[in-house]
Amino acid sequence: MGETTPEAEPRKLAEEARDRVRFEEEALELADQVYRVARRLVSTREEAEDLMQETYSRAFRAWRSFQPGTNLRAWLLRILTNLNIDRGRRQQRSPDMQPLEEGDYFLYNKLEEAGREPNLEQERVDERLSQDDVVSALSAVPHDFRDVIVLVDIGDFSYADAAQILEIPIGTVMSRLHRGRRILKSQLAEQAVSA
Amino acid sequence: MNLGFEVDPCAKCEEQLQPYLDRELTDAERAEAEEHLDNCSYCRKRYRFEEELRRFVRQAAVEEMPPALKQKLADLRTPLY
Repeated sequence: MGETTPEAEPRKLAEEARDRVRFEEEALELADQVYRVARRLVSTREEAEDLMQETYSRAFRAWRSFQPGTNLRAWLLRILTNLNIDRGRRQQRSPDMQPLEEGDYFLYNKLEEAGREPNLEQERVDERLSQDDVVSALSAVPHDFRDVIVLVDIGDFSYADAAQILEIPIGTVMSRLHRGRRILKSQLAEQAVSA
Repeated sequence: MNLGFEVDPCAKCEEQLQPYLDRELTDAERAEAEEHLDNCSYCRKRYRFEEELRRFVRQAAVEEMPPALKQKLADLRTPLY
């Protein structure tokens, strides 16, 4: 019962306030990185901004459930991806499950067939594809596949982190990544060959 | 065990392309892929292209956060009493 001295309660409150301020500062320092992922999970800048505000608002309310020493960026993105799913985007059509037989060398081979063998000694990918090509190809990838590509390729998360954020098995991360990148490349191939 | 057929090394290398670039292969798998790449210009060209493509997609897809949003997020902090 010695804990209930008159001084203990204010001290506890002060410690909690200090921890909360530290948490909020650390979360805000990661906002640029979180936004880069958010921006490509949704279609418009406005949606990304709304999602960021909802995410930070929820994170600041739920800060006690974050375990210090674990990955705060992944924790924030878990909130963000859950909110994005809650926004009803899953009502959109489910991913196109038509067979996609092209391999991982597909885009290169397609350029080669079109007589434009990519020779990286002389040319770069950015001479064939514009930033808009990439953005529109990425937005044409169905959500479930795009989420994983965005987390791994833009967010720089490992397969294990992406699995935790999306609450799916690591094998599903790998298969969605594999398939999603092939869809992305077939979109890019159409643009690069028709350019 | 001899299965009576050889696995096509380029097909195997193609399968390893994504986890290789994601740094998700084990050391042994990585060494095996690199040994094949050292000797196979067909796969080497395609790996280099893929690497370049990844870098480009990453750069092209990045959009920086508007400064006004940063301020809005900062305003969401719990007020200090």
